[in-house]
Amino acid sequence: MNSTRRCFVRFMMSTKALVPGASWPCSNLGPAAQILRTFRVSGTVAKKKSRPVRTGYDEKPERERSLVADDDDDDDPFERAAREAGTKAAFDGLLDVFVRRDVRRRGHVEFIYAALRKMPDFGVEHDIAVYNKLLDVFPKEVFVPRNFIQRMFNHYPRQQECAIQVLEQMENYGLMPNVETKVLLVQIFGEKSHPMRKYQRMMYWFPKFKHANPYPVPLQLPRDPVDLARFSLNRIAHDLDARVAVYQFPSTEVSETGEKVSRPHVVGIQSPEQRRLLAEHNPSRPVFVEGPFPLWLRKTCVHYYVLRADPLPPEEKVEESIDPERSFFYPLELDLDLDRDFGDLDSFDVDEVEEGPVFAMCMAGQADQATLAKWISGLQETNPILGRTPILFRLESGPRELQQATESEPEPSAEEEPLHSQGMKQ
Amino acid sequence: MSLNRLVTLSRRVTWGSLIPLFGPNGKVVSNVQFRRLFRTQTPSLAFAKDLFLGKVNKAEVFPYPEISREELEEINQFVAPVEKFFSEDVDSQRIDREATIPPETLEGIKQLGLFGIQVPEEYGENAFSMKKVQHTDEQFGCMEYTTHCSPSSSVALHTRQTPGCCFGILIAGNEQQKAKYLPKLASGEHVAAFCLTEPGSGSDAASIQTRATLTEDGKHYLISGSKIWISNGGLADIFTVFARTAVVDKDGQKKDKITAFIVERAFGGVTSGKPEDKLGIRGSNTCEVLFENTKVPVENVIGEVGGGFKAAMNILNSGRFSMGSATAGMIKKLIELTAEYAATRKQFNRSISEFGMIQEKFALMAMNAFVMESMAYLTAGMMDKPGIPDCSVEAAMVKVFSSEGGWICVSEALQVLGGVGYMKSYPFERYLRDCRILLIFEGTNEILRMYIALTGMQHAGKILTGKIKEMKKGNIGVALQMFGKKLRDSISTKVDLGLTGKDGVVHPSLTESTKKLEENVHFFGNTVEGLLYRYGKTIVDEQMALKKVADVLINLYAMTAVLSRASRSISIGLRNHDHEVLLANTFCSDAYYKNNFLMTQLQKNAPENNDDSIKKIAKDVLAKRAYICSHPLDRTF
Repeated sequence: MNSTRRCFVRFMMSTKALVPGASWPCSNLGPAAQILRTFRVSGTVAKKKSRPVRTGYDEKPERERSLVADDDDDDDPFERAAREAGTKAAFDGLLDVFVRRDVRRRGHVEFIYAALRKMPDFGVEHDIAVYNKLLDVFPKEVFVPRNFIQRMFNHYPRQQECAIQVLEQMENYGLMPNVETKVLLVQIFGEKSHPMRKYQRMMYWFPKFKHANPYPVPLQLPRDPVDLARFSLNRIAHDLDARVAVYQFPSTEVSETGEKVSRPHVVGIQSPEQRRLLAEHNPSRPVFVEGPFPLWLRKTCVHYYVLRADPLPPEEKVEESIDPERSFFYPLELDLDLDRDFGDLDSFDVDEVEEGPVFAMCMAGQADQATLAKWISGLQETNPILGRTPILFRLESGPRELQQATESEPEPSAEEEPLHSQGMKQ
Repeated sequence: MSLNRLVTLSRRVTWGSLIPLFGPNGKVVSNVQFRRLFRTQTPSLAFAKDLFLGKVNKAEVFPYPEISREELEEINQFVAPVEKFFSEDVDSQRIDREATIPPETLEGIKQLGLFGIQVPEEYGENAFSMKKVQHTDEQFGCMEYTTHCSPSSSVALHTRQTPGCCFGILIAGNEQQKAKYLPKLASGEHVAAFCLTEPGSGSDAASIQTRATLTEDGKHYLISGSKIWISNGGLADIFTVFARTAVVDKDGQKKDKITAFIVERAFGGVTSGKPEDKLGIRGSNTCEVLFENTKVPVENVIGEVGGGFKAAMNILNSGRFSMGSATAGMIKKLIELTAEYAATRKQFNRSISEFGMIQEKFALMAMNAFVMESMAYLTAGMMDKPGIPDCSVEAAMVKVFSSEGGWICVSEALQVLGGVGYMKSYPFERYLRDCRILLIFEGTNEILRMYIALTGMQHAGKILTGKIKEMKKGNIGVALQMFGKKLRDSISTKVDLGLTGKDGVVHPSLTESTKKLEENVHFFGNTVEGLLYRYGKTIVDEQMALKKVADVLINLYAMTAVLSRASRSISIGLRNHDHEVLLANTFCSDAYYKNNFLMTQLQKNAPENNDDSIKKIAKDVLAKRAYICSHPLDRTF
């Protein structure tokens, strides 16, 4: 609560900096505000730094923008506010403050640009209500063209571009405008304005593409690393029969010597078909544990490992022949010397490169052999053949940051060094 | 295999008693007899298979089979008490409710000698030809569905199952086995069960898990495994069990093969599970049977070790012929009941039997019953011919047609009855439940369609391979011949396969329908050739095409059967033969259009053929294992 309030104060200070001379709309800010006042940037400085109209919110040197008051990173109150209390309530509060402050909404274009840029910091970039509120900052009816000349020319281009920018950002975050957006745009710019056109185009295309991805990734990924691994593995395997098994839950224990021992999670997936393939595997040939391979889920990168074997050499391949005494009711094969007619071959001539079978996949909290050995021993319970098969660990020293930033620090210690092709007999 | 010995054992209808029906026919019949003199082995009965080549072996299906007067009387004598018993002493509603057959009913069935109707005379008191079995079954069918006091069809099935198992011993067993087991089975002292299905194995022999291992002294087998859904599993004393045994084949390699055994409950180690609770045929006892190291002497191997697969196929193929008559019997009964209702039920001051849509249903039921009956008895007649004729395709067709027709008819009958049909206090809903199993057991209809189509394709393929190969090689002579044939077909639409006209076998009043049949058969031959040309042996994977092939064949066989039967009826002047002719003509013209449509679908690139789209739909659905459309009320914005 307290921090939210502080953030309000800071933003108000920075907004106040824009409009020198404007008085604080609220006076009960308490002593904190008094102290923080020292951060205020004088109006002249702000003016000096402010630049004329800018389009394209992704232009690089946003920092000089007058709304963001400070050059110094650490001292930027906006940023700090975002860091400390980046919530929707805070952001809404900021908008309210701006709206309430001045009937004429002076400087609203700059304000909107700045707010747009800062939305991710407050975590509101996916919130349609916030965008609507942002559009609500525009004064109503002022920019609506009243005669044919205004209509013919670009009426209030800066404002229109700014509104387009708001819509553009929504588009980039995959957010669809709603009726409220439309009402606002009509009120602000009129029926046939550029932002309205933009709105209409978005409403045309967005629904069409909404379900274009047959494998959508949810906006919110699971926080728990085990759940995340479960989700990712199911996504890679894409087999409804495949079953996820958690071989080890993440836990931290205090050992006898008083050291903290953290056990990483080990989650694996295997389908019955893979189990069958593994059971048919020739135990004299090694199987490999390989990885880590990256998997991107929106902005998160996770890594997985596979258990695989080399493709069968041609001399070991057994031609599958159908046992004539197999089907009780009807013949599975016809004893005919006639092949399919050329005109009815509907398969394409595809050059296929054979790959070895993948028997199972897993994700682990740590990328060392000891952790992955837990997986293998867990697999062995359902696949006894692994006990007789040599298993080679071919782990690459790939990117080591694992799963999420929130995860327990994956410290690469000496024993966890990547092990290249070290044989491990179970 | 003692097939030949069985020939001498099985009593059969003497074909000498066939009356030449009409003038030119006598020649045909004598031809048949003449040919038979030279065939002591399996006669070349291949009516259904020859249809694939566009040929009609009229000698095999015309005239319609008959039995002698004495035999008919014998059957009627046998059937009368059965009918009385079922209508008076069996409370089928109770059987359905309690899901058991009371012991006094079983005792009654035993005393009537219903258990042994297929067992040859030497081993039991009643020995019936297939036709007689059919006839008896029909009575069952009829009675098992009688309104108020009918046993659920379970009783009939119950009794039928025992012959089903006897069949194993009968077909493949040796003399000692027959002498030991058949009399007791025939008298009903012992009940038998047929144990093939396993949790993981329906029609796939490779997944049978039950195992039989030879003991060290080589005198016994130890059988272990579990069998599910065994009819009579809880009551049976004798089981026909199929199990894997290790067999050394001719290359000296050890291989697992299926072997059939006769297992007595007395051998020990046999336990049966709780009876299953089923949708229909609730009176029949169906349960799991477990074998734990059951010791079976080697004498009880049916046929030879490793020959169980063939035995199973034979038993399955010959077991399913009688369904047609049973279903027809049921429909006949159903027609009586619903007609009574339709005539008395009044709406808007008219009885509902005056309404066209109700009339349509009765016509459908009558037609279906007529066709089923005709097919069933035609097939039975073929089976009763000397030798062991292979009528498995025909039998399968009868099964498919009658089970599906039966289901539709019961459903329509229920529709006539409206709400009454839906109430548990009336017996009709039980009919519906009971007859649903017909589409599933003894080989599902899908599997049987594959069997029907592929057997014919194999037969036709053998003969046509050379010709098709020549054509593919670009042999101008063959190609021209084909072209000429096509040209002839397109110019003259008249197809004459000799069923009508001077040497015809069909009554003139059925000429029109016969022409349709001939045309269909001819077109079918061409279609099959086209399919073989296009797919070759990969036709096995074209299940949707095969389904259409099977459907056409079933229709063709049904058309033949009704034409043959109606011709006989009209020629000897049976009662209501004009009605039969009407039914036959109606059915034929109906089937003619259906066949034409199906065969058009089978042409290459036919716009009528939706198979590709259907496959795609199924693929989409099965990939997600769910219905994947959005809800109609869903929105995207």
